[in-house]
Amino acid sequence: MTAALLEIEHLSKSFGGVHAVQDCTFMVPEGHVIGLIGPNGAGKSTVVDLVSGFGRPDAGSVRLAGQQLIGKRPDTISRLGLIRTFQTPREWRNLTVLDNILLAQCRFRRESLRESLLRARRIRREEDADRAVAQAILDRFQLGDLADERAVRLSGGQKRLLEFARIAAAEPRLVILDEPMGGVNPVLGVRIGEAVRGFADEGRTVLIVEHNLPFIERTCDQVVVMDLGEVIAQGPFSSLRDNARVVDAYLGMDLGRE
Amino acid sequence: MYWVSVFTEAAIFAILALGLDMVWGWCGDFDLAFYGYLALGSYMTMVLTIGRPTPPVEYIIGWRLPYPLALVLADVAVVALAAVIGAIALRNLREIYFAVTTLGAVSVLYLIVENYTPLFDGYNGVYGLINPGQTLLHLTYDGYRVGFLGAVLVVLLLAYLLAQRLSRSPFGRMVCSVREDERASAAYGRPVFFVKYRAYLVGAAFAGLAGGLFAVFISAFNPSAWTPQELLLIYAAILVGGRGNPRGVILGTFVVYVGFIELTRYLPSPASRPDFGPALRQVLIGLLIILMLKFRPEGILPERAGGRQPRRPVPGQAPGLAAGPPAEPAGAVAGAGPASADPADQEGAP
Repeated sequence: MTAALLEIEHLSKSFGGVHAVQDCTFMVPEGHVIGLIGPNGAGKSTVVDLVSGFGRPDAGSVRLAGQQLIGKRPDTISRLGLIRTFQTPREWRNLTVLDNILLAQCRFRRESLRESLLRARRIRREEDADRAVAQAILDRFQLGDLADERAVRLSGGQKRLLEFARIAAAEPRLVILDEPMGGVNPVLGVRIGEAVRGFADEGRTVLIVEHNLPFIERTCDQVVVMDLGEVIAQGPFSSLRDNARVVDAYLGMDLGRE
Repeated sequence: MYWVSVFTEAAIFAILALGLDMVWGWCGDFDLAFYGYLALGSYMTMVLTIGRPTPPVEYIIGWRLPYPLALVLADVAVVALAAVIGAIALRNLREIYFAVTTLGAVSVLYLIVENYTPLFDGYNGVYGLINPGQTLLHLTYDGYRVGFLGAVLVVLLLAYLLAQRLSRSPFGRMVCSVREDERASAAYGRPVFFVKYRAYLVGAAFAGLAGGLFAVFISAFNPSAWTPQELLLIYAAILVGGRGNPRGVILGTFVVYVGFIELTRYLPSPASRPDFGPALRQVLIGLLIILMLKFRPEGILPERAGGRQPRRPVPGQAPGLAAGPPAEPAGAVAGAGPASADPADQEGAP
């Protein structure tokens, strides 16, 4: 197995009396696609929030390529190469689709007040080049014709695609997808699966939180199962069918069949 | 001369509105402290130029600096105040909580200025900044007023160019992204607080500058000159003109100040009720805001989505998910994956 890109150790978080995450430990090897599954309330989304800096854990450690993430702000963590999505698409609604991609390209230096005021000509030249790249990304995700539309006018499915286009523009090392299949039709689901595999082919590491088990089976190399805030199983999807705790957690659901 | 003074006032408030629009239009924060920045800019410009107070009048500093230098120093003081208020209000507070906090901050300032006379002589306020540079330039009173209007218009033009450049720059796009979705901006590496904070300080600098010009315009400043209604008028002006669009904001200010307020001055006012006209004007301004919100909420000149790129014909029908081949790529880099982006431009990118 390759080296771990993301190492989560003994992570715990309580909300009042609810132990949302308890002593959660697992790792995500570099270049792999890992699924994080479990019933509602298992603590999956909380783990994503804690890892990406949107929540503070009570205890534990999260390291990205050896670097401690706990205590860092979300934007700092993002700049280390971790891009996450949210359960509902969070596009910048009243900006154009193209601007959404330009923002996702994360050209931070250009956004300083000084650069924006004093380097207008050079910025314009650089932006023209970036705009062409952004347009190519949009075309790849079938959003090319909508580049000048405000993102709020996209359909639900198109907003999902825009999320993936933004990730492609950001070029992160680690992608964390929080329920990317929520409210997605089967045709689009196939396309999202392809996009995830595409990220993996480009050498990115992907962690997917998802309830759609057939999608997880198709897309992921390995699966981590959580229940009641704890990791209860880990391994290839096929190995989970016989795991009593996993089957119990899913109340006897027939894994892998719809 | 009457219209000169009307236009001067409108132009000064347009500078204030440009600053307020950075906070409300770009960041989306409804700031009620903003008139305080104009007030402080006015007070500071006064006490830096009018010399030592003669008892019983009392106020701080009492220097006799040249007016332009005082303007700059006053603006520095305003930005310093905004740095304190912004640091408190912008960190975690949003929407109504932010508005209430800024209202509280400005109320505290107001009370301090009113009651602590050694600061700016309490209710009496400070006065005596009369036409700085008039003798130097050998101008008549009327000539000076016209010249001052010209100077204010030049400052307004510079402020507009600055705001326009920022609003179309990557900085402006980043600020607007925070308005549209803070969490998404944070997830893509933007430090939300510092983004808002910087825009807030730039906006406050505009307000302080407007205050310094306002000091010359009215040559005296006291607590009764900064009531909350004044700020609501600026909000109305931004709303009418087009929130988030510097050109619209200036247009809106002139529409509200020149068009609306001045024209309603000629409303008939019964002799027995001299307050009828002003009261009716307030009602009409309220009505104007309601009508604008109902029929054109984006203002006369709406904010432009998409910064600088050339407009292309928008397809009438959004293509379905499985529909047709993708459109012609805009540039020569068709098919170039993101991995082929210029590595020299990747600093800081994840």
